[in-house]
This record gives sequence, structure tokens and C-alpha cells, in this order.
Amino acid sequence: MSDTSFDYYARKKHDHGHHDHAPAAGKDEGPPSEYEVMSRAMQELLEAKGVVTAEEIRRRMETFEEEFPYRGSRVIARAWTDPAFKQRLLKDGKAACAEMGVELEATRLIAVENTPDVHNVIVCTLCSCYPRELLGMPPTWYKSDNYRARVVRDPRSVLKEFGTVLPDDVIVRVHDSNADMRYVVVPMRPAGTEGWSEHKLAEILTRDTLVGVTVSRVPAKG
Amino acid sequence: MTRGKRTKPRAKLPSTYNPAPGHRFNVGDRVVIKRAFPPGHRRTPCYIRGKEGVIERICGAFPNPEELAYGFDGKPAKVLYRVRFQQKHVWPDYKGPARDLIEMEIFEHWLVPASGRVKPPSLSQNG
Amino acid sequence: MSDKPIHKGPHDLGGTAAGPIDTTDHGMKFWERQANALRNTLTRRNVVRVDELRRAAEDLGDLYYKLAYFERTTMALRTLLIEKSLITEAELKARMAEVRARFDAPAATPSPAKKGMGR
Repeated sequence: MSDTSFDYYARKKHDHGHHDHAPAAGKDEGPPSEYEVMSRAMQELLEAKGVVTAEEIRRRMETFEEEFPYRGSRVIARAWTDPAFKQRLLKDGKAACAEMGVELEATRLIAVENTPDVHNVIVCTLCSCYPRELLGMPPTWYKSDNYRARVVRDPRSVLKEFGTVLPDDVIVRVHDSNADMRYVVVPMRPAGTEGWSEHKLAEILTRDTLVGVTVSRVPAKG
Repeated sequence: MTRGKRTKPRAKLPSTYNPAPGHRFNVGDRVVIKRAFPPGHRRTPCYIRGKEGVIERICGAFPNPEELAYGFDGKPAKVLYRVRFQQKHVWPDYKGPARDLIEMEIFEHWLVPASGRVKPPSLSQNG
Repeated sequence: MSDKPIHKGPHDLGGTAAGPIDTTDHGMKFWERQANALRNTLTRRNVVRVDELRRAAEDLGDLYYKLAYFERTTMALRTLLIEKSLITEAELKARMAEVRARFDAPAATPSPAKKGMGR
């Protein structure tokens, strides 16, 4: 029997009782939606038919949670400290990541560099294409209809909603990730980070800076 | 957190790009996106159809998503390009600066050569 | 399909009129993370293709506008699994009834990925 301790629904299925192993509660969300029920039912049917196993689903969830979200900032921090690596990253993102041991699986990565003259921002207007193996799952705003609709047409006002204001002499360059390529932004490295380790640099390479809605900053001293 | 280990150099690293045998367009070519609105799964957004841009890079040949979407193998693969557009040429009411750009990937069969003599958009301050 | 000569799917949102963006990342509920892992497992093994799932979501028509992101992707997977005879509608209906009967209001799991990256 596969390990179902991570899987609340599987426990419910096998235990037929109410246990307090339930995932840590936020506020009570109410009964599951029709789509949650549908998704669970489809998974169980596929498990019963031997198309997938509960274990591989569980492992994939863990990979998405524990591995993918942390890779992008490490790769870009390397690019900030190693100019030759940065050039290789800009030339062929997938190859440069592989060099670092970051296997992007199906993702074809294009890295685009912010400069004093150009600011890049990423979207997928048609769905939610995103370099998941590099950055983890996209944020809810990236998948939202309003972001997808507006950032291609009025990127500067969208950026303002994220607190990012760019002067008119900076080119805003929007990338609509609509086919086989996936994108990551190489932010400008802020002043005041001279001599920082890659680990410390990775901390200011937040997800939002790598999608291009914010710029990388040295946190204010509190 | 430890610094990422240097891996041994491999014989061949995986690439973002595929070969593009017989590609019709080259970097710098001016192109127009076909102004057509057929039904079915298309990865060319409606907002860019009929617009003029310039080839920014060749991504290589990929199986055609318009066929993959219906369970076919998408072969023969079609050459995919990145095309760069000036926002003011895409949106008649674009409010931002004239040099703002939008770029996306377009398959070869959606492209026709442009005519006329207009300077293509660039990233440089002099562009 | 409609009889309009200009075809634009509900998903083709670039440039359409839209309101302010909720810039907070609300993360993912447990079932959404599990649904994502299921979808990803199936596409990595070519049981279904990402292109097919996209097409099925696009074919939702007006329903597309009424559904949230993971609701759309769930409906798309449903379409493909039935289309490919991996499950039947009757099986799905029966299993959904079973799943529904098991629950008494589980709470959502906060996503551990929200920690740590100053998002």
C-alpha cells in the first residue's frame, strides 16, 4: 500500500472517519467544491486503473513545493556573480541551467536581461505558461484574466499596480510566452550588494523580480 | 545553503533551441502576421494578427501545437521564431513611449514577408 | 462551435478590457497542488498532452469566464480523459458521488511554498 500519510483525501478514503490529521487549518473553507471532488475522483479512477500511482503524485507535489521554487534565484545569483556564466545563460538558458545541475526537463528557457535602458516583463496571455521547473508554480495574479489581458496592452500601468514605476526613457519589453519558450528575467543587481555571497544575493532575487513585475532591492535596514 | 556544485562538463548540454532546417526567415527580416481567424487551437494571439514586426531570433523547429491539440503528432515540425513588435504598431491607442516593445513566438506558417522600407525596432538608445 | 467567421476563443485575452489586478499571491490549496501534480504526471508521460488540455479549456466557451483557474484545468482534464476512453462519464459520476459522501468540511492546507522567498 502506498504511503498516504501526506494525502488527506486518501486517509479519509481508507479510514472512513473524522481524524484530526487534517492539514493545518486556516479558516474553514467549507465543503469541497464540485471541481475539487471531480479532480479527486479522476485521480482515484486513474490510480485504480493503474495509470498513475498515489506515490508518484505525492512525489511530484513535493518536487513542486520543495525543489522548483528555489532554483531560479540560485541561477540568477550565479549570473550576477559570474559574468561569463551570465553570457552563457543569456545565450542558451537551458544549457546554462544544466551546467549548474538544474535540469529543466521540458522547459526551453530564454533569459532576458534588465539594463538601465530596458525593463522586461513576462506573461502568457493564452493560458499560464511559466518556467515551472525553474520558479515553481506561478502566482495567482500571473494566471489571472486581468493580468493576461492588460500587461500586453498597458504594461506600465500594470507595473504601477505592483509598485514599479519606470521612466519614459526605459524601454518596457513585454514577452508573451505563447509557444514553446519560457522566460526568466535577469534583474539589475542593485548597488550596495558588492561582495555579497550568492546565497545572500538569491534572497533579494524574489519570484516577482524574476517575472519582471518588480525590481530587485536591498531591503531597508529596519 | 551551500553554493551549487560545479558539475562535470558534459558531452552535450541540452539546449533551449532546436535546429531549424530550411527556415524561411532570418534574424532582422521584417514580417507580417497573417490576418486570419480560423477556428481551432492556435498559439498566435488574435491581438497580433495582421501586425508587422521583425524576426528577433530563430527558436528552431517544433511539432505543430495546432495538430498536437487534437491528438496528432504535430509533424512535420514547423519553425518557430521570436518576433519583435513596437507597441505603437500593435495598439492604435498605446499610451506608453514609442520605443516600448512586445515580443512573442510565431510559427513560420503564420508569417509573410513585409514590404516597404521601415526601420525595424531595436533595443538600443539609438534605435 | 459558433457560426461567426472570426474565431476568438475565450482564452485569447491579450488586450481585452479588464480591471485592476489582485497583486497578492493567494497560493494554492491542497487539492489544487494535487491536481497540478496529477496533470503534470500525465503530461510528462504523454498520457495526455499539454496542447490537448489547452484546447479542451479553450473549448469551454462561455463557461471559461465563470470558472477559476483550477476549475478550468479540472474540466479540461475531464474532457480529455473521457475523450481518450481512459474513464467513462458514468464512472466519473459514480466516483464523484463516493468522494462527496466522504467529506465533512476539510480545511484548506496552507502552502509551505509561501514561506521563505519574500513573495
